[in-house]
Parts: sequence; C-alpha cells; structure tokens
Amino acid sequence: MTTAGVDSSADDGAMCIRLSGEIDLANAATVEDQIRAALSSQPSAVSVDLTDLTYLDSAGMRVLYALASRLHALRIVLELIVPFDSPTRRLIELSGFESIATVRPVRS
Amino acid sequence: MRYALLVAMPGGPGDASTAADERLRRIESMTDAALAHVDVEALLAELLDRVRELLGVDTATVLLLDASSQELVVTVALGLESAVRQGIRIPMGKGFAGRVATEQQPVIIEQVDQANVLYSVLAEHGICSLLGVPLLSSDTVIGVVHVGTLVPRRFSDDDVRLLQIAAERIVLATQSRRTAVERAAAAMFQRSLLPARLPVVPGLELAAHYVPAGRDGVGGDWYDVFTLASGWLCIVIGDVVGRGLVAADVMGRLRNALRCYALLGGDPAEVLGRLDQQVQHFEPETMATVLLAMFEPSFARLHLSSAGHPPPLLALPDQPTVLLDVPCDYPVGVSGGLRRRATAITLPPGGLICFYTDGVVDNRGVSLDVGLERLRKLVETGPVDALCRKVVAQLVDAELPGDDAAILAVRRQDSGDMGPLDLVLPALPWSLRDIRLAVRRWLSAVGASPRAVADLLVAIGEACSNAIEHAYGPGGGSVTLHLELQSPDVLATIHDTGRWRVPYREDGGRGTLFMRDCCDDLRIDHGPTGTNVVIRRRLRAAATA
Repeated sequence: MTTAGVDSSADDGAMCIRLSGEIDLANAATVEDQIRAALSSQPSAVSVDLTDLTYLDSAGMRVLYALASRLHALRIVLELIVPFDSPTRRLIELSGFESIATVRPVRS
Repeated sequence: MRYALLVAMPGGPGDASTAADERLRRIESMTDAALAHVDVEALLAELLDRVRELLGVDTATVLLLDASSQELVVTVALGLESAVRQGIRIPMGKGFAGRVATEQQPVIIEQVDQANVLYSVLAEHGICSLLGVPLLSSDTVIGVVHVGTLVPRRFSDDDVRLLQIAAERIVLATQSRRTAVERAAAAMFQRSLLPARLPVVPGLELAAHYVPAGRDGVGGDWYDVFTLASGWLCIVIGDVVGRGLVAADVMGRLRNALRCYALLGGDPAEVLGRLDQQVQHFEPETMATVLLAMFEPSFARLHLSSAGHPPPLLALPDQPTVLLDVPCDYPVGVSGGLRRRATAITLPPGGLICFYTDGVVDNRGVSLDVGLERLRKLVETGPVDALCRKVVAQLVDAELPGDDAAILAVRRQDSGDMGPLDLVLPALPWSLRDIRLAVRRWLSAVGASPRAVADLLVAIGEACSNAIEHAYGPGGGSVTLHLELQSPDVLATIHDTGRWRVPYREDGGRGTLFMRDCCDDLRIDHGPTGTNVVIRRRLRAAATA
C-alpha cells in the first residue's frame, strides 16, 4: 500500500501542509481527506510543501487541483513549495500548476 | 573417608575386600563400549540396575541438578518410578537428596521418618534405610545418587565406596553425553536461526557462509537479510560474546528484536540504539557487536551503523578493495555510550560489499591488521558465492577454527547482468507501489539518469493506473509490465486483457498527457483482447517528446 504523510502547522493565520512519501491512485483519496481535515481552521494563506514527496501521479495532481480550486473560491492564497531537484518538480511543471498558484523552490 | 551419620555408625571397614574388589570391577566394566551408544537416561538406568543388584538394595535413584532453579530433578529412579513420572524436584538443602548435595558427602539414614525426608514418596514406598552420595564434577555438585531398602539396613563403608565409584561413572557418562548433546543442540539451534536460504532480491546477488568453531562448539555469530515494506533491504551481521547454547539463544533473541526495531523505521543508528536499550534492560549480561546496513530501495546507496563490529569491505570494478570508513561505536549491551552514528555510502552497479565476523580475520597467531589485509587482498567484485567459498577456504578452513566465522557478500548487478524485468500484478491500486519499487531498482541497475527514472516512473505509473481503473470490471484482472534495455533506450510495455470500459481519453486525460510528456515515444493500442501501451525513453538524456 502506498503511504504518504500529511503534517500541518499554523503560523499567524498562514497554514503549512507538508506532504511526504508517495501519492498515487491507491492513497489519493486518503490524502485528500487528511488535507481537508488539516484545513478545518480558517487560514489566510496555505502553503503545501512537496519537498519530502518522492512520487506523485495524476491522481495526486487531481487532489492538488481540487485543493487549488476550493481555496481560490474562498479567496485564500495558495503556494506550492517544490525544490528544483525534487522528483515531483517535473510533473508540477507539466501540469501547468503555475498558472493557478505560486510555485516556489523554497518557503518564502 | 568421611560421611555423615544420622542414626548409627555403619559396620567397620571392609573385611570382605576381595569380594568388594570383585564387585568394583563389575561396576567399572559397565560404562564401556557396550553402553557407548545408548542415551543418557538409558545408560543411567543400566548403571542403576547393576548398582541395585550389587548392593542388594530395592531402589536406586539419580537426581540431576537444574542449575537455573537450584533444584534436584529426579531423572532415573528404579523401584520408585512414580517419582520420575511426577517430575519431583527437590530444592538444594531440603530433604535427603538436598542434604547430600549441600553437604557434598555421603549421608546415611537408617530409619526414614517425617523429619529426615522431604517428600512422602520415599515413605510411601516403605523405604526404611537410605544411602546417598553426591555426584561431583571437578568439586561441583551436579546431582545425587541414592539407594534405599525396604527392610532396615546398616550400610557399610564398602557400600559407600561402591556407590561413590558408581557415582563417578554416572558423572562421566552424563557429562560427556550432556556436552555432546548440548553441542549438537546448539549447532542445530544456531543453524535454524541463520537464514537457510537468502532471499532472492532482483538487482542484487547475495551469498553467505558460516563456519562453526572447530573445538569449543558453537559461538554467537549471526547474519540476517530481510526487506521492509518500504522497499528498504536490511543486512545484519553480528557476534554475541559467549559460546554454546546460551550464546545461540541470546543470538536468536537479538536477531528477532533487531528485525522488529527495523520495522519501526529510522536509520541504522536508531535501530541499533533501540536494540541496545532492549539488551541493557532485558539481557544485562549480554554484549554483542552488530553491523546494520540498510539499502535504499534503489540499492544505489546504503546506510551503515556499527556497534563495535569490524567495517565491511567495498570492492568496485578495476579499483583496489577498501575497508569502508564506518565509524565504530560501542557494542550493544555496553552502557553509557554516546549517540550512535550512521554513514551513507554509494554502491555503483557492479560494486560488491563484503561483511564478516572476526573469526574470518582474527586467526590465531596473526594480528588483526594482517588478517584484515589478507581478507582485503582476497575480496574483489565478481560472483558472490565463489568469493565466500574462496575466503572461507583460504582464511578459515586452513586449521580448525578457534572461533566461529561468518561471511556475507552482496553485489549490485550492473546493466550487463540485468535481463528484462517482467511483472504480473493484480490490477489493484495497491500494486502501484510494488511496480514502482521494481521499476526503480531495475532502472537504477541499468544506469538510468535520475531524470529518466522520475519520468519513466510517471509514464509507467499512469499506464498501470489506467489499466487498474479502466480495464476490468468488478471481476478484476491483472496488469503485465515488461521492461527491457534497447540501448540507448528503455522500452516499457504495459498490457492488460480488459475490455470493460473505454480505457483512454486520448485528448483530455491528464494521465495520458503526463505519459506523453515523460517519454520519447508512446504507442497505445486498444484491441478486442485488451490494451497494449509501449513507452520508449532514452536511458540518460532528457526526453524529447
């Protein structure tokens, strides 16, 4: 079974969600639930850190897209942290995620 | 001759010495060749039977000391068979046998009563008089032999002497037989704890040899190879201080504890730290050296931590073999140590790592440095089984090894060794992780660049996900993956036999888009018998698609 970690921390209204492990078809729904649970408070900005994520596929991208559109509707700013040498960097670039959220190599 | 007297002095010393000598000869004759092949209990029964006959007594009993509980266990009892069946155990110092063992000298009771025997068994059987002598092995009590009569009897000095000689024979017989049995049991036990067959791990070649010590029986060397659910591979080699069954027993517990702690995650230093805590808490008498190597799922890197164990050797093609620079921390079971350290090293395809215990390098009459240098010169990358056999033949087999010795070699296959990869897995989401694991290892062994690995993982992953999601109905099915090297390309074929749903949305599906972008060429064929996806990508350069 594919395993992923979802750890969240809040700092002055800004929320950071750190993803680790792998996300694919097998655990995408679980990861989505965990992210939703982590966002139960009302943040002003959300940053999703993919530094420790070693694999992501289209099922995982679907989760990130769903998150992006929900936050967009709530006017909450979203940024993605994806280092240049990260294994998921290429998929983020291919997916055109930069058109709907800020993608940075490190946390601002 | 000194012996305790409870009721009355026995008769004066031997007036019938010729008859006694004759009886002695008959006793001495009974432990020889004829009895060489029976087991200890049968041998004791035979001895006791003759003692009973020679002394003209009704019962004859041997109790052996269980050192761990300090109790005398009735082992063989003629005329008192129920005592054996009841598993009677007499504490040291208690009752008749306990007293013989504690005083370490003959004891005579002329009239048995409640006060001088502990258990009613003797009284129940109507035993009237008793003579017991300790079984002594180099001045240590290992048990008691006693004889009893149903009618009052005054045991003579000759009777005592005779029983003492029988006792010596009993000690000899049980000791030698026990040692042989323990040695055989320990050897069997240890063999059962070492992996009978190393796991088959695609991408790695593994071999190990264990040579038990020549003279002193079994030591506490062990090795272990196992994989974790995360795809990491663990190799353990260790040496428990001590010998015999006790060391083999401790080794078994350490082996299992280490497996459990590895399952909990963490780097090898953390795993050894947990093992150390366990040993210090539950096995305070134990000390062991252990080296733990954890291979990343790609096998391209490994992380090592050493608890006082000699460092492994690294052999690369066309390079001199070197001792790995692994910081040596204190052995497991030593308190007050500092934080344990872990080191990571890279293992390129074709590279070999050789693990060993000190029995390989620490031969008598040779310094450790010389032993290590001899081993270093022998170790080179190549077939692992041949290497282990060569090392054992040249460094261990030369004479009877004083210590046991273990060697384990692992070689990472290179592209020349790598045939195609074929996988058939159930078309279920949980198969995706196993597919990635196998693909990562295979690509890493054929020397794919990190970018090519990442791209192919996505392209193959998407193709498999499609088969899993769309090919089959509730009945399920399987997905087949074939990977082969067509230099300079990798060719991946993903096949399913499903026709349930329209499998691919060639235009809109993000997954198909990723597949296209992550390879140099993509072909998708839907047919009446299923779907075939062929992905081609350069092994090293960036994808051109």
